[in-house]
Amino acid sequence: MKKISKDESVVVIVGSGAGGGTMAFELTKAGIPCVVLEAGPYLKHEDYVNDEWEAFGQMAWLDSRSTSGSWRVSKDFPELPTWIVKAVGGTTTHWAGAVPRFKEYEFKTLSTYGKVDGANLLDWPITLDELAPYYDLAEIALGATHRHGRPPLPANNNYKVFANGAMGVQYKHYATGPYATNAEPYDERPGSIQDGFNFQGDKNGSKWSTLVREIPRAIKTGLCDLRPESQAVQITHDAAGNADAVLYLDAEGNLHRQAAKAVCVAGNSIESPRLLLLSASSMFPDGLANSSGQVGRNYMRHLTGSVYARFDKPVHMYRGETMAGIIADEQPHDPSRGFVGGYYMETLALGPSFLASFADPGAWGADFTEIMDAYSHTAGMWIVGEDMPQSSNRVTLSSSKRDKWDLPAANVHYDDHKNDLAMRAHAYEKATNLYESVGSTGRQLTPPYPSTHNLGTLRMSANSEDGVLDNYGRAHDVKNLFVSDGSVMTTGASANPTLTIVALAIRQAEYLVKQLKSGEL
Amino acid sequence: MNNYVNNTPNEQLLLVKMLRVMFPHKNFCDGPYEEAAEAVINAAKSTPGQVIILYNGLRELETNSFSTLDAVAATTYLKGIEKTSFFASVQGSGLVALYNNHEVWKKLGYEGPSFDSGGYLNRGFNDLDWLPEPRISEYEEENDQ
Repeated sequence: MKKISKDESVVVIVGSGAGGGTMAFELTKAGIPCVVLEAGPYLKHEDYVNDEWEAFGQMAWLDSRSTSGSWRVSKDFPELPTWIVKAVGGTTTHWAGAVPRFKEYEFKTLSTYGKVDGANLLDWPITLDELAPYYDLAEIALGATHRHGRPPLPANNNYKVFANGAMGVQYKHYATGPYATNAEPYDERPGSIQDGFNFQGDKNGSKWSTLVREIPRAIKTGLCDLRPESQAVQITHDAAGNADAVLYLDAEGNLHRQAAKAVCVAGNSIESPRLLLLSASSMFPDGLANSSGQVGRNYMRHLTGSVYARFDKPVHMYRGETMAGIIADEQPHDPSRGFVGGYYMETLALGPSFLASFADPGAWGADFTEIMDAYSHTAGMWIVGEDMPQSSNRVTLSSSKRDKWDLPAANVHYDDHKNDLAMRAHAYEKATNLYESVGSTGRQLTPPYPSTHNLGTLRMSANSEDGVLDNYGRAHDVKNLFVSDGSVMTTGASANPTLTIVALAIRQAEYLVKQLKSGEL
Repeated sequence: MNNYVNNTPNEQLLLVKMLRVMFPHKNFCDGPYEEAAEAVINAAKSTPGQVIILYNGLRELETNSFSTLDAVAATTYLKGIEKTSFFASVQGSGLVALYNNHEVWKKLGYEGPSFDSGGYLNRGFNDLDWLPEPRISEYEEENDQ
């Protein structure tokens, strides 16, 4: 691997997940040397384990954090607001793989929904039309099934129940994708062996991740210096207010400084705003690039909820691709339902270890064991919908809690908006009807897990007073500071965010390459 | 301080009973509950504060003759203490250990690790036969993005 001097001003990318990994590949492919600072270790496919708790201990981001607000996660998992990954490849090594695009109106929610009390809605500074070519590139990179000639995945048992239930309630828009795991070999990755382990890392390498594609390809260009176990803790700037270096800690806590000509922050929507807040200086007293006061605000985590339905006959939901089943019938915006925005239904399966912990946290007694006794006869789905951006839902630096390096930990505050509650109630009812139409005998309505979709805390805005970033994800206040992850999302839309993060990163990389090659940066 | 809770037969018995009342699976043998009880004790040993919570909780169970209560009375008793730190710590670490037990997986019909057996591609990922084969492609009118 290329070794880049710490004194050489290069593009420094913080994070190696969907956004950071994509940036690393796109930039090095275009001849731009990059240092990638990844907080976690370099786990390889052979390191992964087919065991929920062991894999969780190996992969999850478990650094000190705190929570507040009325969301149930804060009560059940007060120190675990998210379920994301700390390792090379970031959360793409853990994600399931559902890749719908955002819809045209989801880029214009303020115009479409109108003003919603308590919500900080805003139209994106880009449109679906502008993003569409990059969606194509992202779908090709990820190998999305049902797209660009890629065949669909076959129906697994959980999907059979899900799709028949969809038919039972007259839904039409159900399919096994689009899904970013190969049904057949493609792009040097084998077809799925339906092993049922997605959230634990894919040992088979059939699922797209930046670990399997972008990171090794970036390294192969000879221009990428990947530094695992390197946690960025501050972005410094020069007298003109331009970013000039990133300070980071190695595994032993030694502090290093990497000179930077541009910085791309892609640490996911908790750590990215935390890094900017930790980078406060006399020129940027409220945190770097925070003249708008929006850094850390408008934290979104998608609606989410799950339904586990019991049947007289066996299902074995854990066999096969976890989320290769998507229903879009409830996705369109239809305010007659009593809420704005929409939601997808997606197949989901947990093993008994995780189902026990998450089905109804804290529950015990005969009602609880009924859920577990029915495990092999259970079908499951996840509900993922648009949640409202709220100014007070935000990531801040904790005044009391510190990480193991004695730096302020992130506090994640979240209150459900009444639109979120109305949508979740609607989705629970529709999911119940769906499973009852194919004979379910009982169901468990499961509250949101610690968040896997973390969005919006450094949002893009046309106007520099409304958000942190411009329409390319560049900070309004600092011309060589970019954000390349889901934090950039102005609103959250209803679809799983990874495809959109990748599409935005490809577009941002193209822009950054032009800026660097023309000497503007 | 760690010697206050020693995984003695009596402590084990109380915890096993408590876990059985919390998670009353009719077809589970004692083994997984015993292992879960041990896990509760080991987890508590991580800090003196937890040891004290467990020690006091177990003493309360003894004082209230928990071991002699029938299933209904024992459930009612646990309902009365479910807001205590003692209950939360037994419920929390007991649940994780119980449902991470491979014997329990087998009873529940879960097959565990699958990669080394070639996944489920040829081992029943699509063997459900009580419903018709559904469409897997997208609805035709929707290719309008």
